[in-house]
Amino acid sequence: MRKLKRYASLYWLFLLQRFKVLMEYRVNFLIGASSTIFIQAASLMTVWVVMGQVPSLNGWTIDEIFMIYGLLTLAKSINHMFADNLWTLGHEYIRPGGFDRFLVRPINPLFHLLADRFCHDGIGNFLVGLVLVMRGFENLSIPWSLGNIAYLVLAVLAGGSIFIALNLITCVTSFWIMNSVPVTLAVFQTHEFTKYPLNIYGKMIGVAMTWLIPYGLASYYPASYLLGRDVGYMAWAMVPVAAVLLAAGYRFWLFGLKHYGGTGS
Amino acid sequence: MPIIEVDDLSKVFRLNQKEPGLRGAFKALFKPNYTDKVAVDHLSFSVDPGEIVGYIGVNGAGKSTTIKMLTGILAPSGGAVRVLGRDPHSQRVANARDIGVVFGQRTQLWWDLALIESLNLIAKIYEVEPARYKQLLDQFSETLELDELLKVPVRQMSLGQKMRAELAATLIHEPKVVYLDEPTIGLDVMVKERIREFIKQQNREKQTTVILTTHDLGDIEELCQRVIIIDAGKVIYDGPISTIKDRFGKYRTITFETGSASTAGLALPDGTELVANEPRKLVVRFDRTRTTASQVAGALMEQADVVDFSLAEPDLESIIKQIYSGALREEVAV
Amino acid sequence: MRSLRRYWRVYSAFAANAVKLMMAYSVWFWVELLGQIFMLIIFVYFWKAVYANTETVSGMRAAETLNYILIAQIVAPLVRWSLILDIGGAIRQGTVAIEFTRPVDFQARWYVEWTSQMLFQAIRLALPLGAVAMICFGLRLPADPAVWGYFIVSFLLGNAVLFCFDWAFACLAFYTTEAWGLHILREGVAAFFSGALLPLQMLPGWLQKGAAFLPFGQALNAPVSILTGITPVSQAPAVIGTQLIWLVGLFLFSRFFFGVASRKVTVQGG
Repeated sequence: MRKLKRYASLYWLFLLQRFKVLMEYRVNFLIGASSTIFIQAASLMTVWVVMGQVPSLNGWTIDEIFMIYGLLTLAKSINHMFADNLWTLGHEYIRPGGFDRFLVRPINPLFHLLADRFCHDGIGNFLVGLVLVMRGFENLSIPWSLGNIAYLVLAVLAGGSIFIALNLITCVTSFWIMNSVPVTLAVFQTHEFTKYPLNIYGKMIGVAMTWLIPYGLASYYPASYLLGRDVGYMAWAMVPVAAVLLAAGYRFWLFGLKHYGGTGS
Repeated sequence: MPIIEVDDLSKVFRLNQKEPGLRGAFKALFKPNYTDKVAVDHLSFSVDPGEIVGYIGVNGAGKSTTIKMLTGILAPSGGAVRVLGRDPHSQRVANARDIGVVFGQRTQLWWDLALIESLNLIAKIYEVEPARYKQLLDQFSETLELDELLKVPVRQMSLGQKMRAELAATLIHEPKVVYLDEPTIGLDVMVKERIREFIKQQNREKQTTVILTTHDLGDIEELCQRVIIIDAGKVIYDGPISTIKDRFGKYRTITFETGSASTAGLALPDGTELVANEPRKLVVRFDRTRTTASQVAGALMEQADVVDFSLAEPDLESIIKQIYSGALREEVAV
Repeated sequence: MRSLRRYWRVYSAFAANAVKLMMAYSVWFWVELLGQIFMLIIFVYFWKAVYANTETVSGMRAAETLNYILIAQIVAPLVRWSLILDIGGAIRQGTVAIEFTRPVDFQARWYVEWTSQMLFQAIRLALPLGAVAMICFGLRLPADPAVWGYFIVSFLLGNAVLFCFDWAFACLAFYTTEAWGLHILREGVAAFFSGALLPLQMLPGWLQKGAAFLPFGQALNAPVSILTGITPVSQAPAVIGTQLIWLVGLFLFSRFFFGVASRKVTVQGG
């Protein structure tokens, strides 16, 4: 408990310092924070233009599609804000030698890596996701009940954890290979599939995005649940899957750390 | 009781030779081609609390690998390390509380943060008690002249300012053992002096144990009572500076001034070598285990018209230079 | 003539270097290819689902739209790829000053480097993508050599237009402190208004007007429309004429703006 408190206050301090630096370059902060909005806007406008001319996409209306898109974007933004530094483990810490610094400090090195850089670019994603989901609640008359809000928070946190865990697993390969970014990117970019209803794809892709690279658990199933479509226990699958993936990711991290202790590179 | 104990320590790296490109990467993955590289080879020494030890050797001699094992970054492949009675690798976090490390040119401060903000963060990471932190900050500000630097971000500091800031950050949690890797490299004389003074003061007042790797003779002469020299992963010397000369000053040189210009066809005694042969000047180097100064001088006086000659004592600087240029290796092997 | 040969030698050396640099990142290539294939799959299924309930969208039939999207997605990486980060970075780090001292025109050199990298990418990435699109998704390509001729001219012109736009836009890095934001802004706007995600012909009227005021459509929608037959061959010369007007205008502007912006820096000493 004392440890948890200590880490929480440390994270807060890291975050504060980070914002002090960001505020020094205010224009860049604003551009960065809003940057992802522009990229999301391109996809969203495409959906908007197309859906203006057809009533539904495999039974999904535009509001429902935006709900799926919004849930995914919220989950992604959690990863983007709090765990973006994982991407840089290889090229900014291990290879230049800065990772050694983490190992001579009396705190958890993974915590140190994550706390070292809060990524403000994720704020834009968060806002886009939030607006889409809130818009969905309004337009689709989903009640703002305590249960629904709690479910939403749970789904976003679990979905964010799935993103973080998958990035952690692929980034830990930096302990062995020169450049892990392509590996991480290869897995990460599959999340594009899950911005749209999984049932528009063939069965194989649907299964892959649910069980193999389970980004679908962060968007398609929670959206279905909130929209009152029956997906059974799959509405809750993101929680145990996130827990298992996080545990596996941390195990793999420790294994990578052990390897690093053997080779120092 | 020693604060650092290194017992029969070894580190062997397995290198996987990789060919470039994707094909090479796959080949390395499925059909690895390993070669072993011994970086540290059955090393043993111990350091007492309050000692300042110079740890020197050529690049690649195993210095930084040893330091990485002492700090807990690397796990030994053989033998044992104890720092304050702990195994630094398996008890890494506990060990980290009691040590401070300066990694040469790589700063531990946050690039964009004002120095004071970096120090605050580091104090929190090491859980320095706030009252004590304030006290130390005042002390350090005075001895390292940090006052006008506290509000400056590291990216705007000069090399000397950075190193002063770095030392403050490294010692703010009052570590019992400090590892300093090239703390004075590239600095001007004034800053070097200040930094040495600070290290000495910390050592004197708090009994801080210091392990110092450096290329700088001044650092060694001013700070270290004791020097450990390693080569090819082995200790080749461990003792006070004063006896290095006896151990490694095997060669001496005599410079002769000659009257006549021609000095062709000289016969030199065994263990002697002509280093320079100029008109009116001869420089001869000899191995004092095989011959003596008087034998060399006698032999030359018989053959050439010697006007004057002088015998040069081996100085520490040239010995250190020899150590770092790798010339010692052959000498030890003889 | 001799000076022409000298220019050729100098610039071809830069071009060869740029290509060599790209070859080094082979793992990147595979991942990028994979990502592009994912995008192809997503778009094909998305549009198939769209056309499941309707015959036409904005007067375009399923086969026509799919063909457009496949080609647009194959060409898209070339449009997405901007030199804003590179030029902006050079401006930020002050390496631009070194460029001024070289005896070759700064902009011409970057154009040669950028275009050769782009063409290299085009061949390396577009060929396998095209093969995948043909085998798996029924991509149809025209047989008429005139269409191909117009396409290639239009494609190169469009990329030159984009180059000049990026050049002028990157010069804003002389004023702002980072090029990253500019890069992202350009990426987002270009993704939509180039027609990489859907044919610009499908946009509602007011958006189509907006798109016409931006240069991005010239780089993607124009050549892809020619290749897919959305623009008939008879109208291709008019499209190319428009592109030429864009090119001349943006070229002059980019030179002018670079001059103004860089003078500001030299006066202030960086």
